Amino acid sequence: MAFIIFWAAFVIGLFGAMGKSFGGKLTRRAVGAYVAFFTNTPAFVQVYFLFNGLPDAGILLSPFAAAVIGLTINSGAYLTEIQRAGFASVRRTELEAAEVLGMSRLQSVRYVILPHIMHTIYPPLASFFIWILLGTSMSAIIGVEELTGRAINVSTSTLRSIEVFTVVAGIYIVLTLAASVALYLVGKFCFRAKMRVI
Amino acid sequence: MASLIQQISTFFNYYNVMLLLWGISSTVLLTLIGCGAGFTFGAVIALTRTARSIWLLPLKVLFIAYVEFFRRIPFLVILFIVLFAAQVISPTISLFGIAAISICLLSTSYLSEIIRAGIESVPRPQVEAAEAMNFSRGLTIRQVVLPQAWKVILPPATSFVIMFIKDTSLVSQMGVTELMFTGKTPRQSRLLLAARLWNDPRLLFRPVLSAEPPRRLDGEETCHTSASEISTPATGKCRSCGTSAFQSRRVR
Repeated sequence: MAFIIFWAAFVIGLFGAMGKSFGGKLTRRAVGAYVAFFTNTPAFVQVYFLFNGLPDAGILLSPFAAAVIGLTINSGAYLTEIQRAGFASVRRTELEAAEVLGMSRLQSVRYVILPHIMHTIYPPLASFFIWILLGTSMSAIIGVEELTGRAINVSTSTLRSIEVFTVVAGIYIVLTLAASVALYLVGKFCFRAKMRVI
Repeated sequence: MASLIQQISTFFNYYNVMLLLWGISSTVLLTLIGCGAGFTFGAVIALTRTARSIWLLPLKVLFIAYVEFFRRIPFLVILFIVLFAAQVISPTISLFGIAAISICLLSTSYLSEIIRAGIESVPRPQVEAAEAMNFSRGLTIRQVVLPQAWKVILPPATSFVIMFIKDTSLVSQMGVTELMFTGKTPRQSRLLLAARLWNDPRLLFRPVLSAEPPRRLDGEETCHTSASEISTPATGKCRSCGTSAFQSRRVR
């Protein structure tokens, strides 16, 4: 679930950042409004609205779909900001050089900008991935059967709440630590990013 | 969609607006408590972790474990753990207290990381220069480290606090009436009423027996608003707290 959300949000963020950096005035305004709206309302409220509010408008989403769509839209806004900051860090001359070489916009993003900014934006991207991993827990509330959801179910059926939630906390710690180590290794060998696990 | 638009005029009546205002104040209060505690304890943790004394080593290990523990668990799980742990320690603790405790735990761990990053961003020679000028440790922190670290701390701290205002929405799951929950109640009050009736079927007869207008059932419920006072008309005493039903009604 975290993977789906992260990659979908990454693509949204990429296009958002492109729109914000290179688009016309209208595109910029639209992307700015999207980012401002979705970063300033709680992710939980957005998921809640998708799940409980849309049925009034005739759209019925399953809990899983609502959680994935809500969290994707939300994190897409955050990733737009992160990648826009990365785009801004690329030097003007490099873009001009790409233009001189006759590259199209997409080509220059693919071959010039992305390799550059991956080095810079990798650490915030990695920490955002961890954030999404933790953020998926709030989908338990609308009834998705993931780790926290299962924990709530088990604790209601066994009444051993403290034990269950302590174990779940342990699982989350192991999970995020493993993700941190993996992201650290990837970052170190693929993007020469400077970051640390703890 | 048409039904949504129709509901807008009925939504903003007096009670709903008051409920929303109550929720806003609760959100702001939780945020203030969290920020205050987070900055205070976070600064303590950060200063301990950046100190070089060997005697502080056990404390450092403890703080690292604490920070990593609370940074790597979803807020919802923290809330549940605090809820169940707090009920063991003191059964009468209010839900708002539980929410405040868990928010303090969360914000302390995150803000301590932010403050530590700020302190570590101050160049080493600055601290050494202060030492050479015979500054005490406290004086070094106050006059050399903090003014320079402040600029690094403030931007991430601000964005964390904003994130954190929004995190309080999760507290609604525990039943604290904050902004999110007050948005939920008008929709679900009928459901809540059903849940109450399921727990205590005598509530059904309460408006008939006590001959007073039925009160909102989704508000806070004291002992005497439940059916207990009706069930013992002979003694005139409330079964659960022993005070006279007559007295309590006069107090109310």
